[in-house]
Amino acid sequence: MTGRVFEIREFTLHDGPGVRTTVFLKGCPLRCAWCHNPEGQSFEKETMVRKDGRRVPCGEDWSPEALAEELLKNADIMASSGGGVTFSGGEPLSQSDFVLAVAALLKPKVGVAIETSGYAPGDVYERVISQMDFVYQDLKHHDADAFRKWCGGELGVVLDNIARLRRSGVRHSLRVPLIPGVNDSEADRGAFAALAGGSPVEYLPYNPAAGAKYPMLGRKYEL
Amino acid sequence: MTERIKSLLDRTFAKEQKKFRRDVDWKPLLDKFIAEGVDDETRARMGLEAMLAAEEPAFMEGETIHFLRTVKQIPDLHSDAEMDARRAAGTAFGEKGVVFNLTADFGPTIAVGLDARLDEIAARLAKAEAEGDAEGVNFLRNADLSVRAVLGLADRYGIEHVPHKGARTLHEALQFLRILHYAMWCEGEYHCGLGRIDQYLFPYYDADIKSGRLTDEAALEELEEFFIACNRDSDLYIGVQQGDNGQSVMLGGVTRDGKNAFNDLSRLCMKACGELKLVDPKINLRVDKTTPLEVYEAGTELTKEGLGFPQYANDDVVIPALQKWGYELEDARDYSVAACWEFLIPGVGMDINNIDAVSFVGSLDAAMRGASAAASYEDVEKAFFGEIQRRADALVKKYAHVEILPGPFVSVISTGCVARARDICKGAKYNNFGIHGTGIAVAVDSLAALKDVVFEKRLVTLSELVKLLDTDFAGRPDVLSAAEAAPKMGNADPRADEIAKRLIAFWGHAFDGKRNDRGGIFRPGTGSAMYYIWHARDVPASPSGRLRGQPLSANYAPSLDVPVKGPISVVRSFTEPDLGPVCNGGPLTIEIHDSAFAMPDGVTKVAQLVKFFVERGGHQMQINTINRETLVDAQKHPDLHRHLIVRVWGWSGYFVELDKEYQDQIIKRVELCA
Ligand code: SF4
Repeated sequence: MTGRVFEIREFTLHDGPGVRTTVFLKGCPLRCAWCHNPEGQSFEKETMVRKDGRRVPCGEDWSPEALAEELLKNADIMASSGGGVTFSGGEPLSQSDFVLAVAALLKPKVGVAIETSGYAPGDVYERVISQMDFVYQDLKHHDADAFRKWCGGELGVVLDNIARLRRSGVRHSLRVPLIPGVNDSEADRGAFAALAGGSPVEYLPYNPAAGAKYPMLGRKYEL
Repeated sequence: MTERIKSLLDRTFAKEQKKFRRDVDWKPLLDKFIAEGVDDETRARMGLEAMLAAEEPAFMEGETIHFLRTVKQIPDLHSDAEMDARRAAGTAFGEKGVVFNLTADFGPTIAVGLDARLDEIAARLAKAEAEGDAEGVNFLRNADLSVRAVLGLADRYGIEHVPHKGARTLHEALQFLRILHYAMWCEGEYHCGLGRIDQYLFPYYDADIKSGRLTDEAALEELEEFFIACNRDSDLYIGVQQGDNGQSVMLGGVTRDGKNAFNDLSRLCMKACGELKLVDPKINLRVDKTTPLEVYEAGTELTKEGLGFPQYANDDVVIPALQKWGYELEDARDYSVAACWEFLIPGVGMDINNIDAVSFVGSLDAAMRGASAAASYEDVEKAFFGEIQRRADALVKKYAHVEILPGPFVSVISTGCVARARDICKGAKYNNFGIHGTGIAVAVDSLAALKDVVFEKRLVTLSELVKLLDTDFAGRPDVLSAAEAAPKMGNADPRADEIAKRLIAFWGHAFDGKRNDRGGIFRPGTGSAMYYIWHARDVPASPSGRLRGQPLSANYAPSLDVPVKGPISVVRSFTEPDLGPVCNGGPLTIEIHDSAFAMPDGVTKVAQLVKFFVERGGHQMQINTINRETLVDAQKHPDLHRHLIVRVWGWSGYFVELDKEYQDQIIKRVELCA
C-alpha cells in the first residue's frame, strides 16, 4: 500500500497542540471555490512552476512505514511537547486505509489529529476518527444549495458525519472558513451555530492570499 | 507602565534629547597631543576630562536617573597618521585600537563608591612611587584624575550620595550604573556591555523589597527608566548599523558558586523590556537543561514582540567549554557576552573576541583549485582542512603582537587593574582572541554537493566544476540543478550533517597550542559578524549552487537559498556537531513569522523549540520574529530572505515565492496586526 502526499510541513502552529508536523494528502472529492491548496485537489501527480521558472514536482508516494519513519524522526520533541502529526490535504479521508496504517504506526509514540472536510462515506469516517486524538471538522456552509454551488458536493454527507463525530465522543472542533459574500453574514453565523449543536466552532477569517498557488498550476483563482 | 514612564518613552522616541546636543571641534586637543608628544595613557585621561568638562548637565522632564550626552563628538586621541605609522612599524590593533567589546565589572564599584576607589588608587600610587614603578605611577595618576573628572560632572549634575559613596538602593545603583556606563563611552570605548545586571543589582533590589522601600511595580518603573536611558544616546555610539551598539545584558544562569541565578530581578528585567519594546538593552538569557519551560515562555514573549531577543546561551555547553580553554570554574560560571554574542567574563576578560575571521567558503575555493586532481572526495576534504589550518596559522602570526590603547577609567572599574597598577590595555586575567568562522553552511553544502556531483554522480570532474564556478555554471544547468538538489545542512540529513561535524571538529582545534604574546589563546567560533558579507565578495559561485554575489548566511544558520524542512530539522542539524570547541560565540539564528503567535499557544511552541535546542547541546540561539519591515525588505532583496516563511492561511509558504500582490497583502495584514 502507498499513499500520495504533496507536502510534509514541520512545526505547523495552527493544526493542534504541541509541536506538530502536518502531512498533506493529495486528492479531494470536493472543489471549493476558495480552496487554498489547489495542488491538493487532483489525485494525480502534478508539476508546479514557480515564479522563477523552476519546476517543482508535486505528489510523492510513500509506504506507511517510510512515512511513519520520516515523521517519527521528530518524535522526541513531539512527545515532550504533547504534539504529534496532523493529517490534512486535500482530503485525507480519501486515502483512509493509508491514513489508518500510518496513524497506527505513530500512535504508540505521538499524538494524531486530522483536518477533514468530512466528505466521505460514514463507515470510513467513523473508522478514521475513532483512531484520532483530535478532529478539525470543516463546516463550509449550512445551506445545501450553496454547498453544491460553491463546493461541488452534498451537504448531507457532511452533516451526517458531524453527527457521527459528536456521537463518537472524540475531541473535536468545527472550523468555518469565512468567505466574503458566501457565508459571512450575521444570519450565516446563526445558522452555523445552530448546526454546530454545542460543538466548539472556530471562525477562520478569509485570507485574500488564498489564491496564491493557482498560477503555479497554470490555473486561475475564480473567487 | 506608569504615566511618567510612558511620557519619558514617548519623548525619547520623539528625540527630545537631541535639543540638548551640540558640536565640539576636538582638533585643537589632538594637535596639542601631537605637538607635545603626550603619551597614550595621559591622552586617554585628558580626553575624558575634556569631554566631561564640555558636557552640560541636561535633564529630561520627569526623569530621576540622569546623565545625558550633550556633546556629539568624542575626542580623537590619535591621528590617522599616528595610527598608520604604528601599524607600519608592525603593531596590530583590534579595530579602532581602543578598548571595545567589553563589559566592565560594575558591581564592586557601585557597592563601594568612587571615593573609596580613589583611596585605593592613592594607596597603590604611594606604593608604586616607592617602588619607582614609572608606568604604574603614570597609570594611577591618570586613573585618579579620570575618576575625579567623572565625579566632577556628577557634582555639577547635583547628584547626591552616589557616585561618591556606594549605592544603598536600587535607584542609586541604577543611577551609578548609568554614570559608569556613560563614562566608558566618553572615554572612547565602544560596544560597552552591561553584563549580569540581575546579579550585581540584585542585593539593592532585594533590600528595597524586604525593607518595604519598593514594591515590585516601583522597582519595575525604576528599571524601565534606566532602560529608556540606554536608548537616548545610542545613536551617537559607533557600530556597523544603527542599533549595533553592544548594550547587552545577560540574565539568569548560575552564580559563581553554581547555584541557580535566575531571580525575581531577572524576571522584572524581561518584563520591563516587554513593556518598553525598545532595542536596548539587548537581552541575553542563560539557560540549561534544568531551565523550566515557563522561563523560555517568558523569553518568547519578548521574541513575539519582534525585538530579535532574547538570545539564549546554554550553560551546559558554554561553562565546560570556557573551562577547557583555561577559564577558572568560578569565572566560567560568571560569563556574559562581550557586547554582541562573544562570551566574556566581565571584569577579568580583556579578550578581543572578534579580532579576525577565517572564510570557510574562501578556504574551500582555494583548496579545490589547488587539488583539482584529487582522486577522491576525502582528498578534497583533506585539502580543505589543510587550507583552513594554513589560514588559521597566518592569523596567529598576524596577531602575535596586538596593542590596545589605554582606558584609565574603564581600568578602574575592571577587576585588579588598580592592584596591578596597570591599565587594562596591558592585559587582564584573560587575554584571549576570538576568531570567527564564516560560511559554515555554504561550505558544508558545497562539500556535500561536490561529493555528490563529482564523485558519486560523476557529472563533471573537479577541475571542470571549478571552471563552472567562475562562470556561474554557464552552459551546465544540469550541474547547477544537481548541486541544488544535493544534501543541505539544516534538513537533518546525515549526508550533510556528518560533513559539518568533521568541519566543526577540525575548526575547534585549529588553534590548539597557539598563543598570543599576552599569553592568551585563540578561540574559534561560529559567528560571522559582518565578515559574511565581505567574505562573500571574495569568491565566485560555490559548489552548493550559490551563485556569485549571493551572500553567505550570517552566523550559524542554513545557507540562504536552500529550502529547509523547518525549524526542528534546522535545530537537529545544527546541534549535531560538538559545539564546545567552537564556543567563542555565534548563534544559530532562526526566523519565525509573527503569525506564529496568532494562536494562543504559539509562545509555548516556540519556547519548546528553544528548549529542544538547549537539550540537544546547542550553544547559542537567536530567534527573530519577522515583521512588516523585514517583509518589505524581502520584497526588495528576495535572496536574503529565502527562508522567510509566512502563514498565508491554511498553508504556509515562502514569502519570496509569492506574487507581488500576495506579498503586498501579507505586508498589509502584518501592519494591521502590529
Ligand atoms: S475540501 Fe479542502 S482541499 Fe478539498 S477542495 Fe475544499 S478546500 Fe480544497
